[in-house]
Amino acid sequence: MDPSAYIILSAILFTIGAIGVLLRRNAIVVFMSVEMMLNAANLAFVTFARMHGNLEGQVIAFFVMIVAAAEVVVGLAIIMTIFRTRRSVSIDDPSLMRN
Amino acid sequence: MNVYIPILTLAGLAALFACFSVTMATFTGPKRYNRAKYDAYECGIEPTPQPVGGGKFPVKYYLTAMMFIIFDIEIVFLYPWAVYFDSLGLFGFLAMLLFLVNLTIPYVYEWRRGGLDWD
Amino acid sequence: MTPSAPVAFPDIQWLQLAPIIVVLGAAAIEVLVEAFAPRTSRRSIQIGLTFAALIVAFAIIVINAGTFQLVVAGSAAVDGPALFLQGAVVLTALLVALLMMERKVDPSGDAFAARASAMPGSEDERQFTARGYLQTEIWPLFLFCTGGMMLFLSANDLLLMFIGLEIMSLPLYLLAGMARRRRLLSQEAAMKYFLLGAFSSAFFLYGAALIYGFAGTVSFGGIADAVVGQSQMSGLLLGGIVLLCVGMFFKVAAVPFHEWAPDVYQGSPTPVTAYMAAGVKVAAFGAFLRLMYVAFGGEAWEWRPAFWVVAILTFFVGAMIGLAQSDIKRMLAYSSIAHAGFLLLGVMAVTPDSLSASMFYLLTYAIATVGAFGIVMLIRDDSGETTSLDAWRGLGRTHPLLATAFTIFLLSFAGIPLTAGFIGKFTLFASSAAAGEGWLVLLAVIASAIAAFFYLRVVVIMFFSDPVGSGPSVATPSWATQTTIVVALIVTVVLGLFPQAVLNIADHADVFVR
Repeated sequence: MDPSAYIILSAILFTIGAIGVLLRRNAIVVFMSVEMMLNAANLAFVTFARMHGNLEGQVIAFFVMIVAAAEVVVGLAIIMTIFRTRRSVSIDDPSLMRN
Repeated sequence: MNVYIPILTLAGLAALFACFSVTMATFTGPKRYNRAKYDAYECGIEPTPQPVGGGKFPVKYYLTAMMFIIFDIEIVFLYPWAVYFDSLGLFGFLAMLLFLVNLTIPYVYEWRRGGLDWD
Repeated sequence: MTPSAPVAFPDIQWLQLAPIIVVLGAAAIEVLVEAFAPRTSRRSIQIGLTFAALIVAFAIIVINAGTFQLVVAGSAAVDGPALFLQGAVVLTALLVALLMMERKVDPSGDAFAARASAMPGSEDERQFTARGYLQTEIWPLFLFCTGGMMLFLSANDLLLMFIGLEIMSLPLYLLAGMARRRRLLSQEAAMKYFLLGAFSSAFFLYGAALIYGFAGTVSFGGIADAVVGQSQMSGLLLGGIVLLCVGMFFKVAAVPFHEWAPDVYQGSPTPVTAYMAAGVKVAAFGAFLRLMYVAFGGEAWEWRPAFWVVAILTFFVGAMIGLAQSDIKRMLAYSSIAHAGFLLLGVMAVTPDSLSASMFYLLTYAIATVGAFGIVMLIRDDSGETTSLDAWRGLGRTHPLLATAFTIFLLSFAGIPLTAGFIGKFTLFASSAAAGEGWLVLLAVIASAIAAFFYLRVVVIMFFSDPVGSGPSVATPSWATQTTIVVALIVTVVLGLFPQAVLNIADHADVFVR
């Protein structure tokens, strides 16, 4: 098994996530892209843990999952409130702010 | 390869059981029409577009989903802890106890504030 | 599974960790209060608990002064910078808590929505407001956020730093969306803050993963050893530093990652804006300083050029776009961006002197910021705060005391002598010049001269222009907001006239434990 393949995969996932955040206009999809970036980081952590032969990376992956879950809950709450008010989850719609 | 045989057997049995029950149900079950049966299942939102400016928004599904996420994911710490329980000693036990107490606090909050009431 | 000997009971440094434990523990208790206390007494219990926790935490920080050690198996550091900045965070939190409990300036309640879950403009919302409901969940959220900040700036490995970052940020995302007035704007601010904040923490995390891949450990000491021991620059290290810094630049609102700040500052409830501008900046810069000094200090010549670019962009963009703002909260947002640029000078110098100067700067900036936002809360019309600069016209004639107080805060931001901001800026620039960044300091001085323009513009608007209509309408605050403004004013003036005592404390706390 060549661990570097997993690192490349994780980099690809991270890039897809980042591009998704920048290009997509649906808040839920943007949010899913962020989660994908976190999971890409998790994959990198686990792979590096194997390459270095220590467990630290695997433990970190657990913590990241928890943090991601907390983030999902807070994020969904915020997106839901906006959706209830405007009945739309497009991140272009909210545009009350101006310079 | 041998280690996979039990898993494959289990998967095969599960598939057989699923096919068997679904097929049997179509042949032997009673067929009575009920509109509720044809509604969207479990997601709570009509798949068709929402009426403009109206329509009810079933918040409770989201509440439940959020609760599920919190309490389900936290369990991730319990598995490694359980596997190594013997070697963790008193400290491991107390630490996990503290963790579970902390986990109970939001649960109690949710419960007292009516987050668990379905209607 | 081979059974091994039971893990020994690890040595936990309870006293050193006590400030964080007290704050987070009180936050957990407040959640229980929310669950069990009757509605009528909830608010007073929460406020009592919050202040008690913050005061106890501050007392323990003072008791711990002089501690210089790693705790919890090296994951957290309790040293001079950590204690100094934790103290600054707790002081800021105390002042912000006073702003949060203010109920007199808005006839219908405090600065937060009666029920954040009620739809804006709905019948529910009207009824909740009419009944005078107050959302008391803000208090536990606020304490969790404070605890997260304290953890964030004392974290000594990347994992704990990430967790502290999230504990700090998640409650803030929610608080940002809970304004009583202009709720759509507030919810929009919350969403922007959340999406961009989550995006930036993903960058931070991936950077942490790359650093872990490079060093095989996430503890700062281990990373520093690996950095020094390497013969040539590794791609993993460089990529990791870049991604970690991107995450941090987002949090401190450095250009080009600053776009969220004005919108979020404008939409959030003003006490929360004050906390974002003051508390988050202290915590994020505290963590940033530790990260760059302890973990990557040995590699400073590699990452410093990138910091030059970011710092120059940050203080110039902050100062120049700030000039064009017509909204006071947005103007203060650009001011905070410019200050982030100046503080980056301290991060990149990597000398003990610039560390102590940065800490002093953060303290003075945070206190003056809370005071300034306290005054912003008072200028109102029927629909809530009027943050448009036009509403400030003639304030100096109708309310000279208030206008003078605001002027002093602005002068401190601008770094005019006899204010704390001047001492902060002077020591920071001097230490940066001593570290060999003379030309950068020159640019920073030019930028702060430009920034001084827009601060003075507000002063001119307040004192030398005619009031529009019947003049600015100013609400009379209760003792809480008055205390915040007066304390912030005293600190700003006293630290400007007699800074030596606090400068000495900062000077004694100028080394990170590792």
